[in-house]
Amino acid sequence: MSMFRAKKLDLGCFVNIKTIRDHSKRKAFEAFETQRQALRYVIRNQTLPARTRAEAQLQLTQMHCYTRPTQIRNRCILGGKGRGVLRDFKMTRYNFRMQALDGNLPGVKKASW
Amino acid sequence: MSVPRARILDLMKVRCQVFSTTYNPEGIRTGNKILRQRLRGPALASYYPRKMSTVQDMIKEFAPYELVVDNEEEDDRLEHIVALKQRGKGAPKKKKAPASKQDQKAGKKR
Repeated sequence: MSMFRAKKLDLGCFVNIKTIRDHSKRKAFEAFETQRQALRYVIRNQTLPARTRAEAQLQLTQMHCYTRPTQIRNRCILGGKGRGVLRDFKMTRYNFRMQALDGNLPGVKKASW
Repeated sequence: MSVPRARILDLMKVRCQVFSTTYNPEGIRTGNKILRQRLRGPALASYYPRKMSTVQDMIKEFAPYELVVDNEEEDDRLEHIVALKQRGKGAPKKKKAPASKQDQKAGKKR
């Protein structure tokens, strides 16, 4: 949602609405992570009264969906695509191939035997 | 030969003291594993590269010293637009009429 979006664009990679959205989700998650973990602790703690635990459960489910880690998806920094992204290079397989063949990725070499 | 439970519990207590672990004979869940987890936020938030300085920033920075910076991409773009206009393939000019009239015209066309 737009309330989590940075007022000024702070992305240096390929920019489209999907990467902007994913970036704001990441930042929202970072901001609310401690709160989420605290609620999760209360929920898991069996020594606390059942009522507090239920309330914590409710609070956790009612937090904004942008603060959930499962909303985050690794996207390509060169094309913004969400599928076939190599985690080590943050690129889709095609962009990775192009960059590797151009020699832009240190230590990456085409195999041949 | 069976050992009484109290004795085993005593042993557990001493063992916990020695290895400085929590004495929890009933196996009650205290949720400590949540507190032990590391925070993943900073690592996840630094996935995308942040904005670096652009050519526009350079131009702004050098303007007071009367230094000229060439923005090649922008020059190429403008050149391309001029070429399009010469061939009559440029983007149309903005309409001067108020928005309501344009809407009516667009509605009639359909």
